[in-house]
Amino acid sequence: MPALLTTRRRLLAGAAALAATPAFAATGQHNVTDAPVADTTSAADLVSPYGRHQAGITTPRPANGMVAAFHVLASDPSALERLFRRLTERIVLLTHGGPLPETDPKLPPPDSGILGPVVQPDALTVTVGLGASLFEDRTWLAPHRPRVLSRMTRFHNDALDADICHGDLVIQFCANTQDTAVHALRDIVKNIPDQLVLKWAQAGNVPVIPARPDAAPESARNLLGFRDGSANPDSEDAALMERVVWIGPGNAEPDWAADGTYMAVRIIRNLVERWDRTPLGEQERIFGRTKMSGAPLDRAEGTEAMVPDYAADPEGEAVPLDSHIRLANPRTPGSEESLMLRRPFNYVNGVLKNGQLDQGLLFIAFQSDLEKAFVAVQRRLDREPLEEYIKPVGGGYFFVLPGFAAGEDFLGSSLIAALSPTSQTSSQSIPGRPVTD
Amino acid sequence: MATPKPLSRRTTALALAGAGLLAAAGLGAFWFAARTNPPEVVEGEIAVTVTDTVCEPAELTVPAGRTTFRIHNASDRPLEWEILDGVMVVAERENIAPGLNSTLAERLKPGVYDITCGLLSNPRGKLTVLATAESEAAKAAPELRYFIGPLSEYRVYLSRRASELVAATATLSEKIAAGDLEGARAAWAAARQPWRQMAPVSARIGDLANSMDPLADYLAEREEDPAFTGFHRIEYGLWGQNSTEGLAPVAEKLAADAAALKDRLKTLDVAPADLAGNAADLASRVADQATGSQAPYSHLDLAEFSADLDGISKSALLVDPLVREADPAASEALVQALDAARATLDGFKVEGAMPAYDQVDEAGRQRLSEAFAAVAAAAAAYNPAIGLE
Amino acid sequence: MRFLTLAALGALAFGGQAYAQSEATLDLVGPISEYKLFVAEQVDQLVADTTAFVEAVKAGDVERAKALFAPTRINYEEIEPIAELFSDLDVAIDSRADDYEKAEQDPEFPGFHRIEYGLWEKNSTEGLDPVADKLLADVTDLQGRIEGLTFPPEVVVGGAAVLMEEVAATKISGEEDRYSHTDLWDFRGNFDGSRKIVELVRPLVDDEAFLATVDKNFATVDEILEKYRDGAGYVTYDNLTEEDRVVLAGAVNTLAEDLSTLRGKLGLD
Repeated sequence: MPALLTTRRRLLAGAAALAATPAFAATGQHNVTDAPVADTTSAADLVSPYGRHQAGITTPRPANGMVAAFHVLASDPSALERLFRRLTERIVLLTHGGPLPETDPKLPPPDSGILGPVVQPDALTVTVGLGASLFEDRTWLAPHRPRVLSRMTRFHNDALDADICHGDLVIQFCANTQDTAVHALRDIVKNIPDQLVLKWAQAGNVPVIPARPDAAPESARNLLGFRDGSANPDSEDAALMERVVWIGPGNAEPDWAADGTYMAVRIIRNLVERWDRTPLGEQERIFGRTKMSGAPLDRAEGTEAMVPDYAADPEGEAVPLDSHIRLANPRTPGSEESLMLRRPFNYVNGVLKNGQLDQGLLFIAFQSDLEKAFVAVQRRLDREPLEEYIKPVGGGYFFVLPGFAAGEDFLGSSLIAALSPTSQTSSQSIPGRPVTD
Repeated sequence: MATPKPLSRRTTALALAGAGLLAAAGLGAFWFAARTNPPEVVEGEIAVTVTDTVCEPAELTVPAGRTTFRIHNASDRPLEWEILDGVMVVAERENIAPGLNSTLAERLKPGVYDITCGLLSNPRGKLTVLATAESEAAKAAPELRYFIGPLSEYRVYLSRRASELVAATATLSEKIAAGDLEGARAAWAAARQPWRQMAPVSARIGDLANSMDPLADYLAEREEDPAFTGFHRIEYGLWGQNSTEGLAPVAEKLAADAAALKDRLKTLDVAPADLAGNAADLASRVADQATGSQAPYSHLDLAEFSADLDGISKSALLVDPLVREADPAASEALVQALDAARATLDGFKVEGAMPAYDQVDEAGRQRLSEAFAAVAAAAAAYNPAIGLE
Repeated sequence: MRFLTLAALGALAFGGQAYAQSEATLDLVGPISEYKLFVAEQVDQLVADTTAFVEAVKAGDVERAKALFAPTRINYEEIEPIAELFSDLDVAIDSRADDYEKAEQDPEFPGFHRIEYGLWEKNSTEGLDPVADKLLADVTDLQGRIEGLTFPPEVVVGGAAVLMEEVAATKISGEEDRYSHTDLWDFRGNFDGSRKIVELVRPLVDDEAFLATVDKNFATVDEILEKYRDGAGYVTYDNLTEEDRVVLAGAVNTLAEDLSTLRGKLGLD
């Protein structure tokens, strides 16, 4: 069975590559974290939900994103399959768009209607991942847990708020406009209330830059004013993505997990008032880059695309040893292993009780090995000077399901197949309700 | 090709940022720190923004009929938005989280309403609903659904009266069994009240009416007639013969009939036109009866007429809110006629008590008859006013 | 069950509700009148229970007042769709500290929750006498006003969903009875009130699948609440496990979704 699925997926790989829309494809060399360019997107942009991998990972990042985490109500494999099939149906519908049906005015409308009478695709991607708790709480699912999927634990500078951490299932919504992402979330909440109970959600966005035909693509800025994603691996390099992002034979993961990926989500509050009162030189030393251009400090007159030469700067005189970029990616032979594909959004939530702005980074990163990538990088970053200005408060680790094909296939079909009686080695004595933490 | 303008959207959203952590609303851990846009008004929708202190706009004017309000909470607390008619809530949306929008669609009648704006201490806004040609036309022929409430209320009224009747006839039966003449007389009078209050419909349950309330005058053998049963047979014994003798089986049968009546009323269908129609019929009957006597042995007719008036008022006034919209003069006429009839009845009181009817002279009876005739005439104008005839 | 295929995509549209417009009929008269009788019984009980509660408060008997708090409120919670029609009384009887600028310290903060605050947070009945007297007067006023009210059918039928929305929006988070944590009693009242309405209109609902789902979710709620029963009532809300809260939330959200169509199904808007 897994072999069959894999073969079919291979056939689909070509289709997945074609998924990008003309709007994204036409402008040449791009990375997921390039800032969206104004007036190049359209409500008609359609990102196919089908493919060997789920959309929304190597898909160029549109202007708006949102992460929503849910509790799952599914006490046996058939309930889980039902949930996956229902999610697949909503995803296919939402990403393709279409007209709303005529509604009996006496009944609540079946759609929120916030996008008007015709739902446009608007480059919507809906990406689904599973949390460790989903597996841990269900004995029949526990043996199938991805190898390094764990519950996110506290790092040095974290002040995690339980209300915005973890989840049995996570959905990342990305779209040209926030309304499209919100519409998709509301559609899922409305249509699957008996199996998905919302736990937390965080919306974010990426600054859009004006169109400049001859300029090199720019990384978008975070709310500290620095470019974020400058050193991201090239998402159009398929071989690199196979190594950095996608689960393959080398990852020692369960068969069903092939073509999935690990997702780290972090809600990182930025203490922006304090940051704005910090001298520019100090800000730049904390990051290791110049603020305006994004060039590494050892090439201050260069561009963000330039690679710092740490060998020539062993004492960190240009790029401090404890600067963010140097700790995160020391560019040593071993550090290659900790590459990940970042896809963050900025968030603006309003004002905290103390009267300070509640703003920050909705950090999202994908990688084929969570431990070697995000966790290792974050450990290196522990106690970095930037900690004085940021406070991670929420998020979680998730395993993003492999993609699905058009037709009878559905999201998570390989996991469900692995759970089926023929491949199940454990007994049938499944308890009615899972045990919780 | 649609061209979204993300920059301007974001600018608006930033200007609105101020929701803070209070955005935590809904399901316990539900934490949806949304940056939302102010209401984008769809045609036919009315946008209202509620800030920390006021509604913007604070005064709204809409045509009668169905209106959709899009409420944007620009304050930093979850809020409730209500449309009030006096103290009555016409419609409401609860728990709109800071920064979020909510829509409320409501069918509104012409009039002036209050709208709430966040904190209870904040000034209220005003909502004026203007009549339209359609709303004016609708008044003259309200849809069937507007009668569901009044008919339900009437069924509740009947159910309550029937329960009282069951209890009171049981008491009557007990007093008679105990040979307690005074107690039995008081119980008889008490049981007559709910019976007469139900008179607009009880007459329609022919078999029970015939066994519970026949008058000797209408029977071949008068008091000696074997069909002389029920209330008046007992009245005849208690007052005409000053005795409870032989009344026990009659009282038991009456109590059993009362229980049967209660059951029958549960499923009795009263039509919209019956509410004012039955009231007019009964008022007209009372106008005729007032010149004679309905309680020939006890002479408690005035108490009976008073209960009749209760029943007539309840039944007809249930459709009064509809009539008042369609034909204010007709409404006013009935209210005045009912008040006048009540005043006429009260005018007979001697030291706070109704005298025996044989103490009321011809002129008094005539006055009473005319008062009920006026009620009958005013009630008869109700159904035509609301398209029921 | 049929799932999506490419071929079906063209036919698949947003939403599943059929366009089946129906008009309200006089068949509703039975259920609406039964509902009023039900509400009248509840409010009679509310007045009786509030009388005893107020006596305990005024006697300075904190323990007895605490014991009576939740069982007294339950009748109010059960009839909330009707009770909240009287905005002045709803505010006087059941508003929460959030509704006042100075929250608990606001002299205007009245009713059940003001007394709850005193009993649990201050462990005292000090200063509560006038609040208690006012509460009883308001509850008695409510009884009279309900008696005189012609029940609007759309409020009654819509009440089934309103009660579930109420639970979903403000109760499941445990913010209703935040000082006493007696929220499970209120749940019971809200669920029973909602179920009563469903039971009354059941004969008029021509949709077996809908009724089966609603019944199943009410049964789930019963099952969860039963686990937390303590004598005639319930343990405090903080005993609810995260797992049970989630199961309860799933049932409540689904009930709120499903019951939101009840008015329309019966031709009321």
